[in-house]
Amino acid sequence: MTQIPAPLIEEDLIAYFEGALTSEEHDRITARLDADPQAQALLADWTAQNDALQQLYPAPDPALPDRLTRALHQAAPPTAPSWQGWRIAVMVGMLAIGTASGWIAHGVARPGQAQVVLAQAAMSAHDTFVVEVVHPVEVAATQRDHMDSWMSKRMGTDMRPPDLDAAGFRLMGGRILPSDSGPAGLYMYENGEGQRITLYVSNQPGQSDSAFRFATQGDTQSLYWNDADLGYAVVGDMPRPALRALADRVYDQLI
Amino acid sequence: MTALNEIESHIPALRRYAHALMRDLDAGDDLVQDCLERAVAALPSRRPDGSLKAWLFRILINRHRDILRRTARAGHLVAIENLPVEPATPAGQDGHMALRETEAAIARLPDDQRRALLLVALEGASFDEAAAALEIPKGTFMSRLARARAALRTMTGRADSVRRKTHE
Repeated sequence: MTQIPAPLIEEDLIAYFEGALTSEEHDRITARLDADPQAQALLADWTAQNDALQQLYPAPDPALPDRLTRALHQAAPPTAPSWQGWRIAVMVGMLAIGTASGWIAHGVARPGQAQVVLAQAAMSAHDTFVVEVVHPVEVAATQRDHMDSWMSKRMGTDMRPPDLDAAGFRLMGGRILPSDSGPAGLYMYENGEGQRITLYVSNQPGQSDSAFRFATQGDTQSLYWNDADLGYAVVGDMPRPALRALADRVYDQLI
Repeated sequence: MTALNEIESHIPALRRYAHALMRDLDAGDDLVQDCLERAVAALPSRRPDGSLKAWLFRILINRHRDILRRTARAGHLVAIENLPVEPATPAGQDGHMALRETEAAIARLPDDQRRALLLVALEGASFDEAAAALEIPKGTFMSRLARARAALRTMTGRADSVRRKTHE
């Protein structure tokens, strides 16, 4: 048919454009560019894209805003009025939890309904509170005795959060949330890279013990189960095996 | 250089990236502030392997994901594949208009593509650095970047050729 080599495709060119090729590969593409005006046009467009982005978002003024300097040099998180919008979003989120559980409560009760409600409430609570900066938890892990006695009292059962340090997740603290079956407990953990997971615990009287079940809501994933009249959900945004490993640790410590 | 000093040296890059991610300087600084607070708190438990810069970007990106997860649930973010492509005037005559057009196109990129593109376009990150910051394999990063650049061309009316598809 023809001796002209196949036109360069975007994935060849993108590595070329970003300087990610060995010098031999680079030279090989350069040699083919002369005969490929479309490839040349593509490279010119990409250059224009970079130029536009750099103009739209120029390097910032080298003087740092005070709040960033403060954030860097003080250990305790400062109160940040600029997060007011997030507070409102939290309230909206809480409203959504109430609405969702209300809607389900009116639905036809069928086996597993309570667990589904639990998983949804756990994921909504997760999405609501992991983004919180100022008050992600009501009681910090530093007040551990106070947290345990208060949450145990509110839940009417002995509440002691599992230790996930060995998996790299440190307990930040806990809070009590409203749920269909009375107060529910939410514990939040964070790893060294700012990734947060939550453990949601609610009273589920009369529900038989169950194996792990999996639920997902957007990027948020949950493993949940029932044990000894309590429902548990471990929630995070991570691959399922990683979440499973964490749920195993939680399960082992609660038994 | 102490760790805090090293973190401080990366703040301009974090601010620029956050500004572009949020498309707003103040909202970007909010994100950076949050990132710094977390980084300082997590510093004692950080394993000293790997690049501090990539670690900082991972924290920033994790926070950005958290924020967008809730925004997305509000239902007004739609995958780019599902959007009708509006015919755009070819850029060139008016630089300002072209910039606005690029800005609008960036806003409509899927979040994962925007994060990928901005890392190389603003930061000049290498594929390895960008893949580390996004915690994805290098191959995944490359195809994501290619999709971002192709979507941007389509949205700005520059995708005149139909033959240049990626391998997927």
